[in-house]
Amino acid sequence: MIKAQQISYKHKEFHILDAVDVSLGYGEFLAIVGPNGAGKSSLLSVLANEVKSKQEILFKDKNISDWHVQELSKHKAKFSQHNSNDIPLEVKDVVMMGRYPYFDAQPRQEDHEAMNNMMYETDVYHLKDREYNTLSGGEKQRVHLSRVMAQLQNEIEKKLVFLDEPLNNLDIKHQYKALEIIKKFTENSNSAIVVLHDLNLAAQFADKILLMKSGKVAAYGTPTEVFTAENISKAYNFPCTICDHPITNNPMIIFG
Amino acid sequence: MKAQSKLYFYITISTILLAIIAVWSLNTGVYDFGGKSAFEVLRKVIQGDESLSLSDKYVVWDVRASRIIMAILVGSMLAVSGTTLQGLFKNPLATGEAIGLTSGATLLAAIAIVLGGYFKQYLPEMVQFSLTGISAFIGALLAMMLVYRISTSSGKTNVVMMLLSGVAITSIGFSITGFLIYISKDEQLRDLTFWNMGSLAGATWTKNIVLSGVILIAYSILLPKGKALNAMLLGEKDAEHLGINVEKLKKQIVIITSLMIGTCVAFSGTIGFVGLIVPYILRLLFKSNYTFILPLSAVLGSILLLIADTISRSIVAPSELPIGILTSLIGGPIFIAILIKFKKSL
Repeated sequence: MIKAQQISYKHKEFHILDAVDVSLGYGEFLAIVGPNGAGKSSLLSVLANEVKSKQEILFKDKNISDWHVQELSKHKAKFSQHNSNDIPLEVKDVVMMGRYPYFDAQPRQEDHEAMNNMMYETDVYHLKDREYNTLSGGEKQRVHLSRVMAQLQNEIEKKLVFLDEPLNNLDIKHQYKALEIIKKFTENSNSAIVVLHDLNLAAQFADKILLMKSGKVAAYGTPTEVFTAENISKAYNFPCTICDHPITNNPMIIFG
Repeated sequence: MKAQSKLYFYITISTILLAIIAVWSLNTGVYDFGGKSAFEVLRKVIQGDESLSLSDKYVVWDVRASRIIMAILVGSMLAVSGTTLQGLFKNPLATGEAIGLTSGATLLAAIAIVLGGYFKQYLPEMVQFSLTGISAFIGALLAMMLVYRISTSSGKTNVVMMLLSGVAITSIGFSITGFLIYISKDEQLRDLTFWNMGSLAGATWTKNIVLSGVILIAYSILLPKGKALNAMLLGEKDAEHLGINVEKLKKQIVIITSLMIGTCVAFSGTIGFVGLIVPYILRLLFKSNYTFILPLSAVLGSILLLIADTISRSIVAPSELPIGILTSLIGGPIFIAILIKFKKSL
């Protein structure tokens, strides 16, 4: 799906990313975890072609900067960490933006369907006529999730979604709902790269984990491989214990 | 009602309104057609009636009709340029006047009028003829690039910086234009005063043809940009993820709004606040949905300026009130209203 080697990114002599390798297969759910300032968001920006790096990033075996902007928007979408607080539009107008790559002047039937479906799934359908600016932080977050996922509702196979801390401000129920939507998306050989803070949720939902520290990859592999007490304590500089999740048998991390 | 048919409905209604106002405007004025109405004269002009007196024809066709068309074209362009600028800067306070584009255009037009006399004979005839127009365009373009550079970094606009750089450019423009007025000859002085006040009295059919050309080019590029401007509300990076070529969009907006504002300034001087009032009214009805307010501002701008111009030439008849006085009188309070609303979100 996406392949990049030795990504480095500097800001004023400060190495934000230092020789990071990323490779993601079709249908994989990759969670990027790590302490603050580890370079998680920067890595996501580089991979999503927001900032140019010197190294080549291959998206579906073609250099990502060689893709046509509009064509690319049907194959990949990104959920940003800092969504605008001031969008003087109604919720349904914001979600419909996700369909902009598909129509010229007038949304077609399928655009309305994609919009409505995603609003149902993210539980914002009842807010569709509300003004976006009057929503709470978590509700805004769900509106954008809805928009980003609606953007990838199409016939194209093997799509990729980037999500930068999509669970911020969400309550427990909606955290699980959001992750379930992403998980369902990856079941049809689509892939997802998600920056997460909650290690237990990452262990439960992700296929692969990329643990970062100070711009470098600290560990990479399946949740069981990466989430060892040693790896995590070292990366976060904080003691922890690992045990088995009583239901899923995934690693469960208890801090302190 | 579906969104698209709702848009066509509003456009039709406002176009009909514009036509009615144009008819009213044609029949408003001090000139006495000897008992006939202006419409009878206009009909005779169109039929090419020989019995028509030259002065009747002149008043209806060359004075009033051309002025009405000019008000429609200029008003429309000013409103659309305001709306697109607000989309680019993601703020309802961005207009040609507030960020210094109009001053930039006026300044270079003034330089062209006063200093142009010295080197005019060395220029090719085409350029001579349109020297003020081209200068005004370049002035607006330079001001625009300067403001954008100062106020926007990594895709985010700092509104305070945007407005303050507008203040700076305006004051530079004001002082140099003042100096030019001081050194200029009588005939140039009359021209300069006209730029500063703003007036549609200089309307001719030749100017209208040029304006129509500009409007045709500008609108064919700008009017389909409603979706793109909506997406810009998310931020430039997210707009790019939605398949919008943001760099190209910004360049198009910068060049075309400068072209429109420059042309308007060259032909009718500085008529303030149209680009602020019209989107403000439309936002009350349609929020910031640019797929609505962009095409509708094209019609509403015409309506506003045509009403303002008809009032300004009839309210103190037979004399004329500078049109800028009227538009600023409405625009000033609206600017304050937006500021107060904006204060809450700071």
